[in-house]
Order: sequence, then structure tokens, then C-alpha cells
Amino acid sequence: MRRLGKIIAVHSYKGGTGKTLLSVNLAATFAKHGKKVCLFDLDFRAPSLATLLKVGKADHWLNDYLNGTCEIDKVLVDLSDRVHNKGKLLVGFANPATEAIRGMSAKDRKWEMRALGRLLALKNSILNDKSFDYIIFDTSPGLQYSSINAIVSADLVLVATTFDKSDVDGTRRMLRELYDLFEKKTEIVLNKIPEASSKTRKDEVQAKIRDVYKVPLLGLIPCFCDILRAEGDIIFAEERPDHPLTKIVDQMANEIDHM
Amino acid sequence: MLSYLPYCTHVKLIEETVVSSQELIGRKPLQVLEKIRENLERLNEKMEIMIELQKHGKKDIQQSLTDAPLDVMTLLSMPDHLRKTAMAACRLGRATADEIAEQTHRARAVESAYLNQLVIMGHLKKERKGRKAYFFVERESPR
Repeated sequence: MRRLGKIIAVHSYKGGTGKTLLSVNLAATFAKHGKKVCLFDLDFRAPSLATLLKVGKADHWLNDYLNGTCEIDKVLVDLSDRVHNKGKLLVGFANPATEAIRGMSAKDRKWEMRALGRLLALKNSILNDKSFDYIIFDTSPGLQYSSINAIVSADLVLVATTFDKSDVDGTRRMLRELYDLFEKKTEIVLNKIPEASSKTRKDEVQAKIRDVYKVPLLGLIPCFCDILRAEGDIIFAEERPDHPLTKIVDQMANEIDHM
Repeated sequence: MLSYLPYCTHVKLIEETVVSSQELIGRKPLQVLEKIRENLERLNEKMEIMIELQKHGKKDIQQSLTDAPLDVMTLLSMPDHLRKTAMAACRLGRATADEIAEQTHRARAVESAYLNQLVIMGHLKKERKGRKAYFFVERESPR
């Protein structure tokens, strides 16, 4: 019997922790492993997937689906040709136009409630009916409505975090006051760790994470200058198969697969 | 629509239950027992409404019945026991107390009480189809 697919929300307390980098590379890695994946940009305040994946204009945006003006099939753009395997990679983009960003930030509670219903409905329309293996939500940081909607709809929450003091404090609070209340399975991805290549340093960091957050650590991403140099223009999982980041994300994908 | 004359309603319902149970005498015993259980369930629901009325007062409940969207911020501010039920109702879309209990791993009677409480608070809607009561989040505006 086929295992039911999973919804993964990639979230963080602060911006710039690597959510989009993680979401895109995880989606590409799953597709490379032959999985069927849908990636959604739920960062309506600062959409970035359209630029990152070089898709200039979409006929329909994720905004339209959540507004109830179109079905999800119209939103999905097939980018399977970008990954060289039999997997499938479909992407739903958030509208980056200033007017659309303004519109999304002015929605009321009733709209947000309907949006939650539409996100929950993706479980049926994509995971059940189309037999997809994963839906990945790239969210906006902090306690935004769209992000909490994504967390409530998700089966697994990946929290991208750094060792920045304010990020650690905020993430710890969020774990206790958000994910725990919704009883979500949560895993930490620690990003931008200096000198993280040695085994001793890795063990030290892992112990610290267990102590501070009391949730499992899915992955540890060292501080790579070439990620900064890439200027958000490279999907490492696809274009740099031998890069250490590709291997780290590959390992994370395998672990998620076995959950 | 709920009646806000709880004691009269309560007595009337008990009378109806007794009368309808008497009418059933002569039918098959199983049918009689099922009818009694159904009536007791309805009685239980009415009692839960009465308890809520006593706790919060008529005005608050009348207000919440009209408009109380079940959005994520509302979910966050709920007590843990109700949030669990409300989350399961959100996930299932439309469900009976039995189906919710299956998700939350709590007793059906407990879930029935919490679901009715969420209905009273205006977060869920309830609809009867035969013997079954379905609870759901009304997401689209009624036409």
C-alpha cells in the first residue's frame, strides 16, 4: 500500500536563516530521488521563489488559489525539466507585485480561516488525488498568519535557525508557544555554523542544540562563502552535485523519507 | 435555533422523550433502545447548552453564535483541551464525535461535549442527518 504523502513547513523566527535555500534544495533533492514534490511560496510579504527559479510571470498565483478565484492546478508550474530524474517538481508562486503584497497583508480573520481550509484541502487534492509524496511550504518568518496557517496544515515543521542570540531566544519561545501548542512534529536545521567541519565541533553543536531546544536536529549547515557568492541564483542540489551543501540536504531528505 | 428558556425546554424535552418512548412500546426492543439512546444524546446536548448559559450568560453566547471565525489565532488562544478538538475538526472538515474521538484518542462522550461547546462558542456548526450529528467549520459565507 502506498504511504500517504507529507506536508512540510519550513519556518523560522527571524529572516535570513536560510528557509528558501533549504526549501528549494530539499524540493529539488526529493525530485532527484524520483519523488513527486510540490513547492509553495507562502512568503506573501517577500515572495522570492519566482526570482530564484527564474519564472518571470505566472498566469495564476498562489494568492488566487487562497482567494478562491482558481483551483490549485492553474497555479502549479511544472519545473520537472530542471531536475534530471524521473521525479516531478511543481511550484506554486506567490505574487511579487507590490499591490498583491499590500492586498495579502490586509486580509481579515475570516479570509485567513478560509485560507487555512484551502491549505488543508491540498492534502486531498495533491497528496491523495495526485499521489504526490511531498508538499513543501516556504513560509515567512515569525508569527505571520500565513506561516501559522502553514504550520497548522503541516505534518512536519523544519525550523531553520542560526546561533544568533536573538534568533535562539525567539526560536526557543516559538517552539514552546507555537509548535508545542499545535502538537507539531518539529526538527531543527541549524544554518551558518562557523568551523563546523570537524567532528568535535559537530558533536559540541549537537549537544548544545539538544540542551537549548529539546527537539531533534535534522541537519547542520556550515557557513559556506560560496552560498553567499551564488547570490541566491543557484540550486545547489541540481547544479553543484558535489558541493557539501548538496550532500547535507541529501542526508536530510533521506532522514525525512524514513520518518 | 437554540431556545433561551432552558428549564422549560429541558422539561418539555424530557416529556417528549417519555411520550415517544411510550409510543415505541410494541416495536422491536432494539429499535426502542436506539430511540432512547438518541433522545438521551439530544438531552445531553441541551444540558451542555444550559451549563454554558449558566457559565457565560445569555448575551455573550448570543453574540458568539453569530460570528466567531475559527482562525489560527483563535486556535492559539483556546484552552488545550478545546484546541485539540478544534484542530481535529479543522483537519477533517466535517465529522461526527466518533470520528473526532478517533483522531484525538479521547472518549466519544468527551469529544461530544467539547464539540457542542465549540458550537455554542460559535466556532463550529452542527447539522443532524438522521441519527448522526455532524460538526463542521463554516468557511464559505452562507448564501
